[in-house]
Amino acid sequence: MPADPVCPVCKTVINEDSARATTGQTMYGANEVDPNAGTRSFFNGEWYYFCTLQCRTRFLTAPNTFIES
Amino acid sequence: MEFAFTPEQEALRVEVQQFIAENVTPEIVAELEDTGIRRRGPKTREMYKEIAERGWIGISWPKEYGGQAGSRIDQYIVEEEFARAGITVGGAGSGAPAILAAGTEEQKQEFLPGIIRGEISFALGFTEPQAGADLAGLQCRAVRDGDEYVINGQKMYTTAAHYATHIYLMARTDPDAPRHRGISIFLIPMDTPGITVRPLWTIQNDPPAPLGTTYGDNRTNETFFENVRVPASCLLGEENQGWYVGAMGLNLDRVGASRYLISIQRDEDIVNWVKDNDIEGYAMREDPALRDRLADMWIEGQVCRLMTMRSMSIVETDGNFTYEGSAEKVFAPEHGVRTTETIAQMLGPYGQLLNGSEDAIESGVFAHNLMGAFQSGINHGSVQVMRDQVARRGLGMPRV
Repeated sequence: MPADPVCPVCKTVINEDSARATTGQTMYGANEVDPNAGTRSFFNGEWYYFCTLQCRTRFLTAPNTFIES
Repeated sequence: MEFAFTPEQEALRVEVQQFIAENVTPEIVAELEDTGIRRRGPKTREMYKEIAERGWIGISWPKEYGGQAGSRIDQYIVEEEFARAGITVGGAGSGAPAILAAGTEEQKQEFLPGIIRGEISFALGFTEPQAGADLAGLQCRAVRDGDEYVINGQKMYTTAAHYATHIYLMARTDPDAPRHRGISIFLIPMDTPGITVRPLWTIQNDPPAPLGTTYGDNRTNETFFENVRVPASCLLGEENQGWYVGAMGLNLDRVGASRYLISIQRDEDIVNWVKDNDIEGYAMREDPALRDRLADMWIEGQVCRLMTMRSMSIVETDGNFTYEGSAEKVFAPEHGVRTTETIAQMLGPYGQLLNGSEDAIESGVFAHNLMGAFQSGINHGSVQVMRDQVARRGLGMPRV
């Protein structure tokens, strides 16, 4: 089983299951997730997980600074 | 050049006003203010159905798609009166004008009558975390796979995603093309597997803004797309031409009663309030300095209105409509900011009280607008981007 992702900015381990868990549905059938369970971003063809929007904003300002080669 | 409405148009305005007086009941207002089902409660849906049956939605659209082939000005009048009552009667945002201009016959038949009946609505899926003002930097990817596209990526500030039936999505289909030329637009049902919505709460959330607040919603969203498979028939316009389809749709959507009223409705409200009310015995209507401020606001509001009318006149006559919507999108929101600041100064501490406060004026609508006015300069195309469009398309400056 792959390890949970790590926030590339603050290095907090993100519980991927929680971040993706469906908490309900929109009025017309899209799945909703818990806004407090972290967020993610699709960057250069890959999903990155973040503990907060603040970390994601820092990441997107200078992504190469945070991506491990 | 004729600046007046025709007698028939004035009669239409009165008819709409009467409909609102008779049909916008306290129950409907309560539904509209319910943040969980915003604009979509059962009584509200029934009211929209009656509005559609009267032919008041999509008035200017062709008859074969459920419209009336009527005047854009008539449509403006209907939208204006409903907007004053806090009710949106439009054409599903940027989606409808783009479908009318670039959709296939099947797409027009599929979407436009449904929009008129209130059965179809769009969330706008353009902005991304790193691609807002610089929209051409978007990363959401759509890859052709046989008769389908596979979509991966995310969108930010998809405000209607929690109550829309579809998303009007901009995605990159050719990552090797110049930034503006590798983009396409898709019309995708929200219940397509792989779409996930994450709520984001705005400054209007607590307490919720009262009906009639013209800026912002209490909730917006992030929307994720993970291996979302859609048929190629979801493509709107030609592949890789989405930038131009999207820009045209946005530009047309910026013209109309809603955009104009967002910026000037509080001008009208404060004038009406000041005429009938004092603050702690002080009659602001008799203060020469405040009357001057109100006169200035009114003059600027008239400029907003004339810009809107000019744009609609160009659209109505199939003229070359390029930068006019952008010019409005600069002047009107900045007028709205100036207005809300002026009103806050006039009302003093009472102007700071939000919905639910005992002494809030007009349910706190002025205070909620003070918080939200700045949003209007950012969303739906920031004023900085709009100024650049005016410089390039209006003044012939080079792209830099």
